[in-house]
Amino acid sequence: MTRMDNVLGERRTSGVSLEAVSKWFGNVKVLHDIDLDIQSGEFVVFVGPSGCGKSTLLRLIAGLEEVTEGEIRIGGRDVTDADPSNRGIAMVFQTYALYPHMSVAENMGFGLKVAGRPKQEIAGKVAAAADVLRLTDYLDRRPGQLSGGQRQRVAIGRAIVRDPDVFLFDEPLSNLDAELRVEMRIEIARLHQSLGNTMIYVTHDQTEAMTLADKIVVLRGGRIEQVGSPTTLYDDPDNLFVAGFIGSPKMNFLPAEVREGAIRVGGHPLPDPGLAARLAEGTRLQVGIRPEHLRPAEPGEPAMPLTAQFAEFLGGTTYLYGIVGEGLDCVMEVDRSVDTKQGNQLNVTAAPDDIRCFGEDGLRIR
Amino acid sequence: MPDTSSKAPAAVATPRPRRRRRRSADWEGLLYVLPAAALVIVFFMIPLGMTIWMSLHKWPLMGKPRWIGLDNYSRLLGDSDFWNALGFTVQYTLAATAGLLGVALILALMVERPARGVAFYRTAYFLPVVTGFASASLLWAWLSNVDSGLFSPLAQTIGLTSEPVNILATFGPAFWSVTIMVVWKMAGFHMVILMSGLQSIPADYIEAARIDGAKAHQRFRYITLPLVRRPFALALILCVSGSMLAFDQFYIILSGGPQNQTVTAVYHIFNESFVSFRLGYGAALSVVLLAILLVLSAIQLRLLRDRGETR
Repeated sequence: MTRMDNVLGERRTSGVSLEAVSKWFGNVKVLHDIDLDIQSGEFVVFVGPSGCGKSTLLRLIAGLEEVTEGEIRIGGRDVTDADPSNRGIAMVFQTYALYPHMSVAENMGFGLKVAGRPKQEIAGKVAAAADVLRLTDYLDRRPGQLSGGQRQRVAIGRAIVRDPDVFLFDEPLSNLDAELRVEMRIEIARLHQSLGNTMIYVTHDQTEAMTLADKIVVLRGGRIEQVGSPTTLYDDPDNLFVAGFIGSPKMNFLPAEVREGAIRVGGHPLPDPGLAARLAEGTRLQVGIRPEHLRPAEPGEPAMPLTAQFAEFLGGTTYLYGIVGEGLDCVMEVDRSVDTKQGNQLNVTAAPDDIRCFGEDGLRIR
Repeated sequence: MPDTSSKAPAAVATPRPRRRRRRSADWEGLLYVLPAAALVIVFFMIPLGMTIWMSLHKWPLMGKPRWIGLDNYSRLLGDSDFWNALGFTVQYTLAATAGLLGVALILALMVERPARGVAFYRTAYFLPVVTGFASASLLWAWLSNVDSGLFSPLAQTIGLTSEPVNILATFGPAFWSVTIMVVWKMAGFHMVILMSGLQSIPADYIEAARIDGAKAHQRFRYITLPLVRRPFALALILCVSGSMLAFDQFYIILSGGPQNQTVTAVYHIFNESFVSFRLGYGAALSVVLLAILLVLSAIQLRLLRDRGETR
């Protein structure tokens, strides 16, 4: 915290708000009327499959792409048509985009240099940021002589030295190996904690989104599917897409039908999930149950039969892959006491609160 | 290792065929470079050797060559015509290189990014390159003709000058006229080299610099220019060595005039060798010019050396 104070003169951070932002590339509309409010100091993650428009949205906020319709405000100021340098932002690119012909120190101090700041001030800020990011020994190296993780830290350092109101990260960890990715993820979380700035982070990896975010924005096909905290999205997804995208392994989706007053999967009744409205007899729906919520049923409980196929032992937990009814794939988390031999039959069920229902249109039935 | 082979025959038996295979691969490689090597040897190494050999002789067109050792070279030191020609060549090289690379860089920046009609402009700028130097020079000589050309009558018609002006009659206009012709003819070539360099700069760098707050001229100065250094070095070396060897344009347009002030080094060599038929002396001049070019190229390569960055 105190070390960071050397880097940042005074603490100012700003929220970001988007109002009916649309983006066209030629005749293709890639973002549809995006409305979004990001509070000051929040860590927001844009997540979604590739091509969902999350990177484009970030680039609109950065000012690297022009907004076709709508308005972007940073810290209450309309920056829709402002130059990237006048938005109070700093960005970390997926490729790091470190200038290959400059040393680490020159890379980090470039923004201050072109702003005509005195050399001493630049050196001071670069040294402070390098200290925070453990780059002091590498200041004279060129990016080409650094490892992936070090380059990543230089890119973050370059952003810190600019002392921005808002940090933008565009899939910053996707070029790192798995182990380093976890390490850097923690480092970024720590950075957010100590800087307290607004951070917007784009990723396609839902684990990164879940672990880093205060608020997750799930995008698909240029539209926001749902906005909420990781727990909200996990516990209370608005639709099939969000339910399937968040959580690992994925939520099980089982086609079901209402018959004789109960929701039945393959004819087997499930516990009543307590929906607000009673579903009409014969309604078809999708039932979503997370693997960690399925458990072996007590005798007499409403349950579905599951035939074990194979199991993944991960140390702390085991995932049992099986088939429910007639050929519906289903995964459940089990403890070691459960016999996971192939062909073994289990009766499984879940607590009523852990059963999510989705209509045929993919929307949640609450 | 005769005794180990008897103890462990299997261990020794395996490397042997592999080594043989590698040796045959070496010969195969040599076979592949043979055509290129033959071209270099026949058209460069042998003529170079012959030139050096000739430069050590008094070598008239007819009659027997006579060995005179380094006499040609010592005579060359006092040959003020050659040094004047070399001085003029350097002057021309400076003007042509600055003009060519400057114009080429501007053209390259204009047509670098894909946009509507860019292909047309790229082609248009490159078109003069495919005309021969001699034909371009002839065209220019005609355009510059004081009576039947374009420039002088045009200037008169639009009232720029009151009477015909022969731009080829005085050194200044004549020199700049030829230089402009060369820039018109060759800028497209260097444009292509620089354009490929510009296009290989990832857009990320420029975007990162925009976010860093660098203005357009700062992005150009600190990001673009350093990153096109390698293609720029190539263009510079081609430009300098090409200009140092200038001959056709001055021979065809100006015939070395006015008052022999536009005789280049190669033009002088041509005069010595094929007008005065002092072939040995001409060869000595050629060797000296080659040495000068070698030194120039080495200096440029050193100045523009890559300082070990990788992306």
